Amino acid sequence: MHGFGGVVAPGGAEPYHESWELRVFALWAVTAAEGLGAGSGRVLREQMPPEEYLRASYYERWQWSNEQRLLARGTIADGEVDAWVERLGRGESPPGYADAGQSARVLDAVRTATRELASTDSVTFPVGAPVRVRRMHPAGHTRCPRYVRGVAGVVEAVRGTYPLPDDGPRRGTVEPVYAVSFRSEDVFGPTDEPAWTVVLDLHESYLEAA
Amino acid sequence: MSHDHDHDGHHHPVAKSPLELRTEALEALLAAKGLVSAEAIDAVVSYYEHDVGPQNGARVVARAWSDPAYRTRLLADGTAAVQELGFTGFELNTLVVVENTPLVHNVIVCTLCSCYPWPVLGLPPTWYKSAPYRARVVAEPRAVLREFGLELAPEVELRVWDSTAEVRYLVLPERPARTDGWAEEELARLVVRDSMIGTAKAMSP
Repeated sequence: MHGFGGVVAPGGAEPYHESWELRVFALWAVTAAEGLGAGSGRVLREQMPPEEYLRASYYERWQWSNEQRLLARGTIADGEVDAWVERLGRGESPPGYADAGQSARVLDAVRTATRELASTDSVTFPVGAPVRVRRMHPAGHTRCPRYVRGVAGVVEAVRGTYPLPDDGPRRGTVEPVYAVSFRSEDVFGPTDEPAWTVVLDLHESYLEAA
Repeated sequence: MSHDHDHDGHHHPVAKSPLELRTEALEALLAAKGLVSAEAIDAVVSYYEHDVGPQNGARVVARAWSDPAYRTRLLADGTAAVQELGFTGFELNTLVVVENTPLVHNVIVCTLCSCYPWPVLGLPPTWYKSAPYRARVVAEPRAVLREFGLELAPEVELRVWDSTAEVRYLVLPERPARTDGWAEEELARLVVRDSMIGTAKAMSP
C-alpha cells in the first residue's frame, strides 16, 4: 500500500496508550493459556471487514479477535458481551471471580512458551539456490507477502520446518522454511536510494526453482 | 483509575470510551462464567509492565559485546543463547540475531502484522505496528531511517528483515567507541530499544 505519512509521531514510542489496551492483550494471554479460545487471532484479524480493519486501532483489532476466538470455541455466545456492556453502562458492578491457581498457571505458560522450528536435513532448495516466489492469490491467510510474489531471490539460510500457515493454525503440511534474500531493484525497480536487500522467511510451497 | 482526573480537589470522572467499556464487559462476562479471574489478568499486565522489556535485550547485547564465546553462540542460535540468560516465553519462537558492523546495517519489520521478539524487547512500540512503518521500511528504508535520525553512508550494505514466518529477529548493534573495559551493566545502559530493531545505533558514552 502507498500514500502513508511519516513513521515517527508523538506517542509512537509507547507500546500502548491507555491501560485498557494492555488488559485486552492480557485477557488474550489468559484465555490462550487456559484454552478458552479457538483459532489464530492473527488469521481472524485479517478477516475483519477491510474498512473496519483499516479504521480500527491495533488493540481494537485484538479485542475483536479475542471475542471471535471465544465465540469459535463456544466459550461465549452471540450477544453476551453486548448484554454486559449494557449492564455495566447502567452502573452494575462486575461480578467477582477468584481462582487461586490461575495467575500462576497463566504466568507459567506466558514465560515458558516456545515454538521452535524443527531442524531438517531434507530440503529442496539448498543455501545459494536461486528461487522465485510463486504468483498466487490465496483466498485466506498466508504468510507470503504480495510484494515479493513473482520475484526471484537467493536462499540465504534454511530455517527448519514448520506447518504451512495457509492450511490453518498448526495443522498445515510441515515443510521447510527458507530465508530468501531479494535485491531491492528486483522487488521495487530502480529508486533514488542506494540498493538494499530484503530478506523474508518463506515456506517451500511459496517457492519454485528460478 | 487513570480516568479520574483530580484537578481542583474534586473528582470529575470521565466517561469511558466504548472500547474500554467493551473490554470490561468481556472481562465481566468471563468472570460471571467462572472462567477468568481479574487477578490473572492483573498478573499478566504486571509481568509485561515490569519484567519484560528492552532491558532484557540490552543484557543480551551487553553480554555479546563482553564475551566473544557468547557472541558466537548468540549468532549461531539466538533462541538457545537468550534462554541461557533466562529469556523465553510467548512470541520468542525461533530467534535469529543479526549483527551490525561498520559495513552492514540490519533493520527489522513485520509487513504482514507486528511479529516481534517479546521476551527480549517487550511489546512493540506503536510505530512498529503502524501501517507507514510496515509499508515503507521495505520500500524506502533509508528515507525511513532518516526520519529516525539515522543517516547511513551510501556504501553501507542495508539489510531489511521482514519477519514473515515463525522467526523473530533481534539486531546486535555495534559496540560504541570509547567503552573499553566497561562492565556489562554499564554497557547495557547504552543499548536502547530502537538499536535492537535497527532504527537507531546504540548510544555513545
